Amino acid sequence: MLTRREAAQALIAATATATLGKTALAADKVVKIAMDLSLTGADSEGAQRIKNGFMMAIDGSNEGNGIPGVRLEALVLDDGTATAGQYDPAQAATNARKMVSDKDVVGALGPEMSGAGKAMAPILSSGSLATITPTSTNPDITDPKFAQQFRPAGKPIYFRTVTTDAYQGPNMANFYADVLHVKSVYVLDDSGAYGVGMADAFERQAEKKGIKVLGRDRLDPKAADYTAILTKIKSMNPDAIYYGGVGQAGVKLAKQSYDIIPKVIKGGGDGVVSPTMLTGAGYPANEGWYGTRASPHVVGDQKAQQFVDAYFKKYNIPADDYTITAYDAALVMIDAIKRVAASGKPVTREAVQAALMTSKVPTIQGVVQFDENGDLKDRTVSVFQIKQDTSARPDDVSRQYRYIGVAPQA
Amino acid sequence: MTTYDLLLQQLINGLSLGAMYSLLALGFTLVYGIMELINFSHFNVFMVGSFIALFVLQSFGLSGQDVILTGLPLVGVLFAAFVVTMVFCGGIGMAIERVLLRPLRNVKGPAAMITTIGISYILFNIILLTVGADSKNFPNPLPAIRYHIGGAVLDFRVILIWVIALLLMAILYIFVQRSRIGKAMRATAQDAEAARMMGVEVDKVILMAFFLGSALAGAGGLIFGLYYNFTSFIIGFTAGLRAFTAAVLGGIGNVPGAMVGGVLIGLIEAMASQFIAAAWADVIIFSILVLVLVFKPAGLFGRIAPSKS
Repeated sequence: MLTRREAAQALIAATATATLGKTALAADKVVKIAMDLSLTGADSEGAQRIKNGFMMAIDGSNEGNGIPGVRLEALVLDDGTATAGQYDPAQAATNARKMVSDKDVVGALGPEMSGAGKAMAPILSSGSLATITPTSTNPDITDPKFAQQFRPAGKPIYFRTVTTDAYQGPNMANFYADVLHVKSVYVLDDSGAYGVGMADAFERQAEKKGIKVLGRDRLDPKAADYTAILTKIKSMNPDAIYYGGVGQAGVKLAKQSYDIIPKVIKGGGDGVVSPTMLTGAGYPANEGWYGTRASPHVVGDQKAQQFVDAYFKKYNIPADDYTITAYDAALVMIDAIKRVAASGKPVTREAVQAALMTSKVPTIQGVVQFDENGDLKDRTVSVFQIKQDTSARPDDVSRQYRYIGVAPQA
Repeated sequence: MTTYDLLLQQLINGLSLGAMYSLLALGFTLVYGIMELINFSHFNVFMVGSFIALFVLQSFGLSGQDVILTGLPLVGVLFAAFVVTMVFCGGIGMAIERVLLRPLRNVKGPAAMITTIGISYILFNIILLTVGADSKNFPNPLPAIRYHIGGAVLDFRVILIWVIALLLMAILYIFVQRSRIGKAMRATAQDAEAARMMGVEVDKVILMAFFLGSALAGAGGLIFGLYYNFTSFIIGFTAGLRAFTAAVLGGIGNVPGAMVGGVLIGLIEAMASQFIAAAWADVIIFSILVLVLVFKPAGLFGRIAPSKS
């Protein structure tokens, strides 16, 4: 618990220095941290929160002279395109090339989306550039089975401050079976890398737990009409549906399923824990939806509260759990750069990658340590449910989603 | 649900979708019929229409699903919303034609079509950058009345959508067949040069076609919002592409063809989701389109026009 306090204190110290004025010297060596986020499109609100989380840690380090002799600079890249309406893997690949070709970039943060991560990982690997994602949860990217594809150069370069869908989907299947006593389920995904992986992982564990999987279909996130597929689901009469995917299709699914199958239990992964899901779908259509987050729930935690308050003061939008994993990711990256700088060796990508492998950084969510593939050692998955709180802002994720508990480990 | 109920329900689903595609397909067909231009800006005039409708309904104090209207207030609000949305969208259509397309009228090749793609992206980005990227909750002032037919459910709003769509299409049909300007439109479609020599003001006719097509797109946008209770900057592409397919399927340039094409595409989409998988809906829709075009190149109702060279 001390660790969280330390992190919060570091933050307060940082903001205090910020008000006193910049202390960084002009002679400091500039080191760049690249970021890739989906700032355009359906996930832009989450992306903005994450970016703020990154920036808060970086600003904190610069203003508090966190790494003596080094000044951090952010290179912010957007993988969302107007044509896709959300993240675009092709744009993500272009961004990864931009990062790799910039000699000053020694580490990266992001991406927000796994679909973007799959496109970026091989490029980052060949450029020896390590990244830490605060939200991308697709397990394939770090799975040694797919090393050829996602880290052709060998070393792990995709680190995370969240756990993966290899736990998020299955743990939710356990929650469906053990807590909600679901006997039959229909599984949907939104055709994206994240959504398909999530739904696959859920489906496998659901079958193991004896839940009858009545069917599986794929939603086109750009289409508007899911009434036909929902009518089909209605005729099968399942206890629950599980949706692997993000807000773009999720909002429409929530609205239309409320009309067609109002009594069926509905849930998804972290893709349905978002402001879009709240305001786009609206009450009462989204009420009762379950969602998960691939991190321990710390926003309600007293020690995290200091961070949340400081964040709100600086950016005037509420923080959520993934804002915290973003801030934590940046802290871990800064810590790695700091250790390299302190050792007297030149701050290179290779050195930062090696330092990340041995990370043991106190952050708000706890001590962050990685396994041999770059995955987070802590595998907690938290379950939430939408429950209207009229006293809070309708898009306030931390208030409109009620924390239910930790999903049983798979 | 029995198989019969299921079929009936999917028929209802498909017809609602089809009504929307038909309204949109008419806009493609009107403009193509008169000037042989595929107007891709139509996709996003529809999208803009749904946002105009959203603002109109919000200005009446409607938001979310909280306020339900009945009787005269409902008719009044809907009437006002349709008129404002349609006039506004019609205006956008006229502006596009007058300002951006008329100077290109005599340019040979695909310049005009490419321009419409550009306009489509401009509209798309204006909404993205001003209104934002997230899905917007669309007000639903319609009372939640439901009729049960066996195991199938028929919503009041679905009936309303059918009635409004049919009414608009009937008005358009009568307008094109009976009115003076409608006659001028048909004359221009047959041979613009000859029509001009007979005293038809071709510029005015083309402007009218853009107004009507865009106004119908606006109505489609409003109906979309009422039916799905959301709108977003992204809705134009999938709906627009399917509507365009509907227009081609029915025989592009042919007004009743566009209506039938729209309904057919809607039904195919619903039945494909039921009996195969939603993921395959596009594959099936476009396969049918390709097959129709292979065996009947002018579409179901179209006739191959004599060369105008």
